[in-house]
Amino acid sequence: MTLNRETMDIIWLTMRLGLVSTFLSALIGIPLGLLLESRDFYGKRVILRINRTLMGFPPVVVGLIVYLLFMRRGPFGELSLLFSFPAMVIAQLFIITPIVSGMVCTAAKNVASEIRTFAISMNASRSQTFFLLIKEMKHDIYFTMAASFGRSISEVGAVMIVGGNIQYKTRTMTTAISLMRNKGDYSEAITLGVVLLLLSFCIQTLMDTLKRYENNGENY
Amino acid sequence: MVKIIELEKRIESFQLDIKSLLFQEKKIHGLIGSNGSGKSTLIKLITGLMRPDQGTIDLGSLRSKDITFTTQRPYMLHDTVYHNLIYPLKIRNQIPAKEVIGKWLDLCGLTGKEEQFAPSLSSGERQKLSFARALIFKPKLVFIDETMANMDPESIRTFERIITDIQTEDPITWVIVSHQPTHIYNLCQEVHMMEAGKLLFSGTPKETGYFIKERHEKQWSY
Repeated sequence: MTLNRETMDIIWLTMRLGLVSTFLSALIGIPLGLLLESRDFYGKRVILRINRTLMGFPPVVVGLIVYLLFMRRGPFGELSLLFSFPAMVIAQLFIITPIVSGMVCTAAKNVASEIRTFAISMNASRSQTFFLLIKEMKHDIYFTMAASFGRSISEVGAVMIVGGNIQYKTRTMTTAISLMRNKGDYSEAITLGVVLLLLSFCIQTLMDTLKRYENNGENY
Repeated sequence: MVKIIELEKRIESFQLDIKSLLFQEKKIHGLIGSNGSGKSTLIKLITGLMRPDQGTIDLGSLRSKDITFTTQRPYMLHDTVYHNLIYPLKIRNQIPAKEVIGKWLDLCGLTGKEEQFAPSLSSGERQKLSFARALIFKPKLVFIDETMANMDPESIRTFERIITDIQTEDPITWVIVSHQPTHIYNLCQEVHMMEAGKLLFSGTPKETGYFIKERHEKQWSY
């Protein structure tokens, strides 16, 4: 398989989808995870259980729900988002956000209370405390982001349903692999699979390097 | 002056119940009592870490940003000693003066360790850094919760000297918590003794000493 325009387009779309979905999930999931850890309220246990359930929610079911929401006769049909990049991002948000909030909540259980006590002793404001938590938990957040990005680029069921695997528009590496397998083009499918694996490896290496850079900084 | 009236807090089977307690301004107070007597709970209530079930805590002219506390196991930011020390100034948008930083590093015996990763410091050094960090922004009420418990005599003397110097130059209110009264008798002007969630006695260190002695004798006379 050569790196023709279509392949480059598929790779670019997959990366874009992974980055946008991970970024948006982080924006929602990190504060949500910290909130779930810090606040005690009626029904918290149920919400945590729902969050954990959603962490393992089958992507194909998520795809189906988003499809029903955005189909022409669905509640958000007027937005005409189905079979578009935004629809794929929305589907991935449903898949990744519970992973981010769940992992951040679990990580925060070990350290956040200590950090909050310190912030109160320094009379830090709410926003200063929030950013301090993010800074002090950066290693856990790095790991969460890496896991979320990995989940995003390897996901096939939901993006296939809401994206429709349209050439030059919504075809990602996973949906392309699935299509090639259907066509019996195994060598192309394997090659794309290897490219996907390499890309994932490169992203993890980049995150590892960033983390190591931070660690080196900490050794001073 | 901090005035506590009819303060109540229940935590599982433990009940804190303080009818009246006064921390007079610009004095060094000692808060003593055995483990589980409610000293830390009281501090958590005053500093806003916990909400009382009932009662009032009147901070007088103090604002919450004038109050700080140090703990037995201080949290060190994952950053350098320098950045830990200036954190309270940074969040107040104050530019740290070199002489001030140098003075505090010197007082705590941390000169030359400014660029060291703070969590890698020894426990004694961490205590000293947390103490300096709590005082660098010039608070008006400081709670020291068992901070001196695991310190060597030399470090305790350093702490006492710093407290005495501050009281001579620009006095503030201190509440030093300890389960070992002897640690704080020579420093405090007033001692408050707690037991089983209640305030048992308030007086000068000398009076407190007599009270403890009398109580001890009574207990053993039966």
